Amino acid sequence: MKKHLLGLSFLLMMGMMLAACSGDSNQASGEGDGEWSPEKPVEIVAPAGAGGGWDTTARSVGKVLEEEGIMEQNIGVVNKEGGGGAVGWSYINSQNNPHNIFVSSPPLIFVPLNGQSDLSHKDFTPLANMIADYGAFAVAEDAKWENLSELFDDMKDDPSSVTVVGTSSPGSMDHMQFVSIAKKAGVDIKKIRYVSAQDGGGMTQILNGSADVYSTGIAETVEQVKAGKVRVLGITAEERIEGDVLSTFPTAKEQGIDATFVNWRGFFGPGDMTEGQVAYYEEKLKEVSDSDAFAEIRKNYGWNEMYMNSEEYAKFLDEQKEELSGLMEELGLVSN
Amino acid sequence: MGAMEGFMQGLEVAFSFQGILFVLIGVIAGTLIGMMPGLGPISAIAIMIPITYGMNPSTALMMMAGVYYGAVFGGSTSSILLNAPGISGTVATSFDGYPMAQRGEAGKALAIAAISSFVGGTVSVVLLMLFAPALAQVAVSFGPAQYFALMFLGLTAIASLSDGSTVKALIAATVGFMMATIGIDGQTGTTRFTFGNPNLMEGIDFLVIALGLFALAEICFLIKNRKDDSLSKQGDIGSLKLGKSDFKEMRGPMSRQSFLGFILGVLPGAGATIASFIGYISEKRIAKRPEEFGKGSVKGLSAPETANNAATSGAFVPLLSLGIPGSGTTAVMLGAFLVLGIQPGPLLVQDHPDVFWGIIASMYIGNVFLLILNLPLIPYIAKILKISRPLLISLVAIFSLIGVYAISFSTFDLYVLLAFGVLGYLMRLFSVPAPPFILAFILGGMMEQSLRQTLTASGGNMLALISDPVSIGLYIVSLISFLVPLIRTRNKNDQSESEQKAS
Repeated sequence: MKKHLLGLSFLLMMGMMLAACSGDSNQASGEGDGEWSPEKPVEIVAPAGAGGGWDTTARSVGKVLEEEGIMEQNIGVVNKEGGGGAVGWSYINSQNNPHNIFVSSPPLIFVPLNGQSDLSHKDFTPLANMIADYGAFAVAEDAKWENLSELFDDMKDDPSSVTVVGTSSPGSMDHMQFVSIAKKAGVDIKKIRYVSAQDGGGMTQILNGSADVYSTGIAETVEQVKAGKVRVLGITAEERIEGDVLSTFPTAKEQGIDATFVNWRGFFGPGDMTEGQVAYYEEKLKEVSDSDAFAEIRKNYGWNEMYMNSEEYAKFLDEQKEELSGLMEELGLVSN
Repeated sequence: MGAMEGFMQGLEVAFSFQGILFVLIGVIAGTLIGMMPGLGPISAIAIMIPITYGMNPSTALMMMAGVYYGAVFGGSTSSILLNAPGISGTVATSFDGYPMAQRGEAGKALAIAAISSFVGGTVSVVLLMLFAPALAQVAVSFGPAQYFALMFLGLTAIASLSDGSTVKALIAATVGFMMATIGIDGQTGTTRFTFGNPNLMEGIDFLVIALGLFALAEICFLIKNRKDDSLSKQGDIGSLKLGKSDFKEMRGPMSRQSFLGFILGVLPGAGATIASFIGYISEKRIAKRPEEFGKGSVKGLSAPETANNAATSGAFVPLLSLGIPGSGTTAVMLGAFLVLGIQPGPLLVQDHPDVFWGIIASMYIGNVFLLILNLPLIPYIAKILKISRPLLISLVAIFSLIGVYAISFSTFDLYVLLAFGVLGYLMRLFSVPAPPFILAFILGGMMEQSLRQTLTASGGNMLALISDPVSIGLYIVSLISFLVPLIRTRNKNDQSESEQKAS
């Protein structure tokens, strides 16, 4: 028996050593309202794993900041994955250091609403929004619907006759963008059949007929449209997007549904930042947004320019929260 | 443009000085990353994306592809030598590779893994070259109902993954299933079994469990048994040379698993991990002496190694010909394509034949490089085992921790790792097998999600699960797979009974 415990005690010791290592390294944020610039390397946190939208935004902005010599200090991109962003947010909150900033997008609104994070956008300082992406609703090339009106007419008769597939879980991006447009079109959104499929499952499912409509980002559909495999019934942008195939995608608006949905992506800092700190990041991020290097990146990823400064951004976020919490409440997704 | 013409153009790209150089860099980096327990190709490729800015796209992508299959190739090394899987695709490799190394045949085990990987990799590249556009259809032919049937088939193997008690295997599998449900549920968005801890919301990473149950549990055992004589052989590397009988053993698994692994790799979501498990269990099912599996069987080592490398090439089919990433790694690869201004998809062959065929052609070179690099290095790599035991144990512990930390950069995962180390140790003490646990964990998540996707889409109609020939076929195979061992044992019992009577 003694022998058996020996192995366990080894693990226990490792555990204790671990606990000893993970001391908090809280740093108070800078004082005063004067001008500010970072004194040490800036860390951009992508609250998700490598390769996703947050990660690519963080890495590409970090790269432009460094290569174009916009920021004097070095930039490091760190992935803090988990909880749909919640892990990264609580990390930023606990560091409370103006040298740690992070990338976020609409999940910063959804995730707190459905109760998966205690921290919401109000707990952070919006620095600047950088880009916008829009949603697209695609169907297989042989589907019976030619446009959104036909689709929504069918769904008004029987919402459950159509299966919608997206990558994110209900109450997040792909689901909510569809719901918010469908709601404006007069569909009973509580009865919409939505399935979530990871690992490229969404496109696969409309191609093989397991699902009817794929709610996704515009860029994801382009190649399949070019190849004539799928059709985009509508996109969630205000106006048509410029570009080769992109300009053929009709907006929901021009089809008489007065609704849009923006997948915005921007940068945030911890809750208490001085005016000088906010002004510093605002200016640097504006420089990135205006640079040719970033324009090239936007083009490659199919992103649209959407710069907002801290003040505009804060106002925009409050409106977003207002709008989305109404929808999510109706769907029964808001947790108290 | 015909495939042959395209392929010639690809060869030209791949055989340029730059092409060869970067493929070489890619496979070396991949092998090294794969060897480190826990570190996988995902983070390596993500980190490389900014570096490849401004590089020629086909060269850059050839390098990244090299990192990918190089990691799968190298991942077997730590599975075999240390029972610490380098990447998730090589967990099944440790089932027979580690016992073989323990027997003092580490050199042979590494050689078998290298040769099987090479064959799996090369055969599947040929398949990729010949059938990539045609197979695109296969990749999208699987809907949720078919995936459920496929996972079901995988599950019938649980009993065969245990040597002793079937009940214990089922207990382990049940716990594995339960672990798979931790986190945000894909179909409703509710959190399950997270106890309010945001660190658990994405669920537990497969590698955390694998390293805990295998590597940490193993080092606990080494500590416990450190004075046993049975370990004296361990420093031996043994001969690298494979005998004729070994090749004869490997021939079957290599030829079958090259194809099966490739097809499973083509299916989005299945990938190298599932291919290696299914490869392992299908070979065990048809083996003449299944009792050798798990104790250092040549077949049991060769099968998952062939399958995981074949699946890696297979995963390029949906990526290149549809633009659909079937796994985390290929999703990051897709990101790399986009940064370089190339959109993979049905039009890639026409728009960028140099990229499409260049990658495929480079995989031939890459696989040859891997074999040439790895075979002569085996005696040196295997020397790891000569490191004194206390030092080796500490190194494995440290590398497991680093590997897990690198997955998500969270110290919470390290505690989870230790918890699974304790669990794994207790399971070994009570001889509860770990493989069914791992298998249920991998298959469980996908199985649950595809079942619920099917039922949501059909409005709760169960018949949707058996409404097409593919699913029905898979259920029939499952039934056979379930019954064959039962019939076999009965026959054996009958035989032994009659023998007893005779004597």
